[in-house]
Amino acid sequence: MTSPHYPDGTVRGLLATELVSEATRTALQARLDAPLYEPQFLEPATYDLLRAVAACLFPQPDRPEAPIELAPGVDQRLAAGRSDGWRYDSMPPDREAYRLGLGGINQSAQVLFQQEFRALSLAEQATVLQLVQEGKAPGEAWEKVPADRFFEEILAELTELYYAHPLAQEEIGYVGMADAPGWTRLGLNELEPREPEAISPKSVL
Amino acid sequence: MPDEEVIEEGVLNPLKQEVQDPLLKQLMQESALEPEPQPAEIPLPTDEVDCLVIGTGAGGAPLLARLAMAGLKVVALEAGPWHDPKTDFATDEKAQEFLFWNDERLSAGKDPMAFGKNNSGTGVGGSTLHYTAYTPRAQPDDLHLHRDFGLGVDWPFGYEELEPYYEELEHFLGISGPTPYPWGPKRRRGYPLAPLPLNGAAQLMERACQQLGIQTSPAANAALSARYYQEGVGWREACTNRGFCQAGCSTGAKASMDVTFLPLAVAHGAEIRPNCFVTEIERDEQGRVTGVVYEHNGITQRQRCRHLFICAGAVETPRLLLLNELALSSGHVGRNFMAHVGVQVWGTFPEDIRPYKGIPGGLISEDTHRPPDADFAGGYLLQSIGVMPVTFAGQVVRERKLWGAKLRDYMRNYNHIAGINILGDCLPHEDNFLELAEEKDARGLPKPRLHFTNHENEIRMNRHAEQLMRRIWETAGATDIWVFPRSAHVIGTARMGLSGDDAVVNAEGRAFDVPNLYICDNSLFPSALSVNPALTIMALSLRTADKFLESEQRRDT
Repeated sequence: MTSPHYPDGTVRGLLATELVSEATRTALQARLDAPLYEPQFLEPATYDLLRAVAACLFPQPDRPEAPIELAPGVDQRLAAGRSDGWRYDSMPPDREAYRLGLGGINQSAQVLFQQEFRALSLAEQATVLQLVQEGKAPGEAWEKVPADRFFEEILAELTELYYAHPLAQEEIGYVGMADAPGWTRLGLNELEPREPEAISPKSVL
Repeated sequence: MPDEEVIEEGVLNPLKQEVQDPLLKQLMQESALEPEPQPAEIPLPTDEVDCLVIGTGAGGAPLLARLAMAGLKVVALEAGPWHDPKTDFATDEKAQEFLFWNDERLSAGKDPMAFGKNNSGTGVGGSTLHYTAYTPRAQPDDLHLHRDFGLGVDWPFGYEELEPYYEELEHFLGISGPTPYPWGPKRRRGYPLAPLPLNGAAQLMERACQQLGIQTSPAANAALSARYYQEGVGWREACTNRGFCQAGCSTGAKASMDVTFLPLAVAHGAEIRPNCFVTEIERDEQGRVTGVVYEHNGITQRQRCRHLFICAGAVETPRLLLLNELALSSGHVGRNFMAHVGVQVWGTFPEDIRPYKGIPGGLISEDTHRPPDADFAGGYLLQSIGVMPVTFAGQVVRERKLWGAKLRDYMRNYNHIAGINILGDCLPHEDNFLELAEEKDARGLPKPRLHFTNHENEIRMNRHAEQLMRRIWETAGATDIWVFPRSAHVIGTARMGLSGDDAVVNAEGRAFDVPNLYICDNSLFPSALSVNPALTIMALSLRTADKFLESEQRRDT
């Protein structure tokens, strides 16, 4: 089964309505209106590297002008020293892990392609990240931070940031935030008028 | 980059702790762990309360209410804030992360356990603020695995001790469920409310199980299928099927402690103090608890008490005991750490499911409570599950390791994805335990490190359940089926038993070592049970209060 596509603008349309509670609207609107971000924790070059990694893990050719920015969420968290409540014991603390891990990605890029990660083609970048994910990437940084665990952690964090964004939620047809009146049509194939139907593949073509 | 002195953890009031308790100070000096600290000046409050309760979740809240109703002077200290769910709670997973205990825990072992949103909570109401509201009763044989299989340990009492509390709780909380209930002993009273409606995942599981000859039923959930009158609160409105239970109920339909036992406790004179993080438990020369020291908005405070009830959950409870070198003579504090086998199976269906709607755990089967073809001890229950998108996406990348276009393509199936999972027993093992790490948190206290590895019994149960759930999902018409191995809940780290040789508290919930210290949360479960723990924790909480009140009466006469 091919994955469905959903129309644009669904969540943004709902945010302005009474179907969304005030607290919910505030949370989602802030992500849509996020101002241009200057890194507070990572060095500018490291931050740019994080952006490049995020762009490779979440390619957004459909949003060439304004991709969903994932790096700010990571930098803000590290700056504030926030945790998600646990850490693999085999991993160093998050700040150190991000420094070591991002440094390791550059090291691996150098060993494999004699250039830093940001200078690589998309295909080369994907090769580097694939090896990091498999725990097979070269570079001495990986002796201090396990590559596969680092990859799992950075991917999970970026993924949660991506799918918390209203545009990503439009992409997957999610409108659970519009729950102020509750849901009465719960069963299989039962939709309420505010739940978007998939665009059939034909109409996309 | 900011200075390295910047706090590393999300702790609001980082303060260097200073030891107040003379006994602990002496112990620390003897073991020469730390230089002698200078005691800070803490105002000595003149008031002593009858009962002090640490934690306001499923373990602390019911007994707080019970003790207040008995006319005792009671105070509860809660580490987290007091929310107003109606205005503060967003239907947004990221915005709701404040509900989880986000101070870092270190996860070790071959199957390191996820904490945070997986199984921890903070705030007035504790983890019940984000529990799924799934409230099956344990079955009688859950309490004697050792008698039946020769493994683990038995509970120090039988089902008949819990049964009246289960019944009381179902009616007090307004649990929605099927009457009669298809499994377990015959009940004197049915559920007070009809079951909640089934969502897409529940319908798919029902359909497939019917074809396979597996009995199912709408599950018991502590969310209201109709308006319900709550003592101490007034009318609570029916559930609106938001499907967001695991990120906080904004309507009050879910029976979290903040809309049930806690208002009842307050109505009877209990005082609840939010944002109070207990660091120290003080004792007299006989070893009796005299009070606690806690941090409140950066200020160190002391509260004296005649009796202390620690109800801080199966990580913070043993951590407090270890930090204070309290009730350790059995050697079992922090040991016997168990976590339910909670493997999930996901699949993609042609039907529109919209997994964000309806009570997440809509359908149950307990046909697997003691499967005839089992090659393991104990058993499990089966349930259908709904899921919120951010949680789901996080699981997808950790397990399926998808990224790039493949991930975005897969996630566009979200509205067509449904899951089922199990909740199964777990045995205690020597190498599964909690300890204090050398690494400190922002308060200067050692972080907890938890070791967890599944052993043969858990691995076999997992395999049995995975095969069965794959068959169910194939029968239901799923494609692209995948498995998310998972452990749920934190259990057993200060267990109860008949003897102080192998248990921390006795059958009444009182510490063997300390006559006026009680523990009540899932740390005292001797075995994990084959059902979700919340209802049993609440039952133990009411029972502990009743046992305590009885013993006080005995002393008076």
